[in-house]
Amino acid sequence: MANMVPLEDGYMIIPENPELPCKLIGSYSKTANKTYFPIRKLCPVTSEPVETVELSPVGELYSWSFIMMPKMGSREKVPGYGVGQIDLPEGVRIQAPIDGKMGDWKIGMKMRLAPNPVVTDEDGTQYCSFKFVPA
Amino acid sequence: MNRDVYVIGVGMHRFSKDRIAKGDLYFTAAREALSDAGIKFRDVGSLYNGYIGGGMTEGLGFAKDLGLTGVPITHVENASATGSSAFREAVWAVSGGQTDVAMAVGYDDMRQMGSPLSSNQGGKKKLPSMENMLLPAGFFAMWAQRRMHENGTTVETFAKVAAKNWNHARHNPMAQRRADHEVTIEEVLASDMVAYPHTAMMACASGAGAASAIVATEAWAKKYANGRPMIKVLASQSQSEHYGDGHIFMGAIVGPSYSTEITGRLAFEEAGLGPKDVDFVHVHDAFPIEELMYYELLGFCGPGEGDRMLADGDTALGGKVPFSPDGGLIARGHPGGPTGLAQVWDTTRQLRGEQGKFQVEGARTGLVHMMGAGSICIVHLLQRA
Repeated sequence: MANMVPLEDGYMIIPENPELPCKLIGSYSKTANKTYFPIRKLCPVTSEPVETVELSPVGELYSWSFIMMPKMGSREKVPGYGVGQIDLPEGVRIQAPIDGKMGDWKIGMKMRLAPNPVVTDEDGTQYCSFKFVPA
Repeated sequence: MNRDVYVIGVGMHRFSKDRIAKGDLYFTAAREALSDAGIKFRDVGSLYNGYIGGGMTEGLGFAKDLGLTGVPITHVENASATGSSAFREAVWAVSGGQTDVAMAVGYDDMRQMGSPLSSNQGGKKKLPSMENMLLPAGFFAMWAQRRMHENGTTVETFAKVAAKNWNHARHNPMAQRRADHEVTIEEVLASDMVAYPHTAMMACASGAGAASAIVATEAWAKKYANGRPMIKVLASQSQSEHYGDGHIFMGAIVGPSYSTEITGRLAFEEAGLGPKDVDFVHVHDAFPIEELMYYELLGFCGPGEGDRMLADGDTALGGKVPFSPDGGLIARGHPGGPTGLAQVWDTTRQLRGEQGKFQVEGARTGLVHMMGAGSICIVHLLQRA
């Protein structure tokens, strides 16, 4: 099993055990009773301190598209890939690539978070962003 | 505004897919604006250069071709709203009394902008940033998809917006896309898919170009009117995004765009006008979903009524309130830095009655709207005095 690590610190947790779900890390504001992603330094509504929280790995598809252009960071031609906006139960809307092809997605369907390898190092370490897959 | 401000000169280098030296783009647009105003570069008391893709103070070198007059120069970057921000800075420099004459020049070649590959990771190996994993085309497409879900908007409606703007650009000599025939909805739909439901002919034209505007006090405007109508800046407003449910912090924020709604309202309040007083509008129509939404967010129709407004022909040349009369970002083009100033170029010339076959008949008041990175909104209202 390849060693998967987040592309950047502070966005997500990828457990060493692949049976466990990876999770996004956000901020909760007690003063606004709102949750945000990614981590905020202060609550954007009240400017009060926030606490770091793990977010639910499953949400609902709010919108989607199928892109025929290269992904950010690449200029290679691609056969196309899905992108979606997913609403998590905490009230957070996440934007990310989604697995599947045209016809697979329906607004309101359940989607689950998954690591999305972007770059593989010489030692096999996979640097990952995140994506959602139909749950 | 503390002092009345007027647009006294505008100039452009045609937007184009050709490779053109940035210095040449800059020089052409700036010199044309100076010529249009009938003034010399030494008359300019403050200069604002707007570009996205260039190096540090790159515009400073290009300005030397106009003269070394000691003029204060400031460089402005606000993504797609760069040119509009440079214009706004110039307006405020005159309004605030810093100078009597200020100039804004925007230029860019979107295809020469750096790779989106970037990193937030200090000393680590260069990796893509977590923040930049999606393309703007994806953001707009998802906004469109949600609109289809909630309002029953069809892909034909998006194609109709694009076809309208392509046809508006047919007679604009500064437009990047000038079709030699009437563009149809079918043709737009048949072009390559970029990001469902948007096709290539619905996507803004990215290329190279430049545009410039010169603003001045009433005294200067009168002195250099040269028999032409004076064009007054009635309002200059800007807002970044406000927090609302569903706000996405990663990447550009697209939809529901509270900033457009609020900035438009502030501009109307400043001018003492409302949507009914406006004769034509420029918006950030990078994709058709934007123009459609801005009909509603700027108050030209009620929520959900944009489709009908388009279907009735209200926003086409000859309609009640034409949007993007010069072709907009979709057809006139969107190089980046100069885009907002190209809007000012068309608005000024429309208000003077100088746009020939794409003239908005009887135009007296124009609204100019621009978004930067989805989260910066700028609205100006210009009026023939």
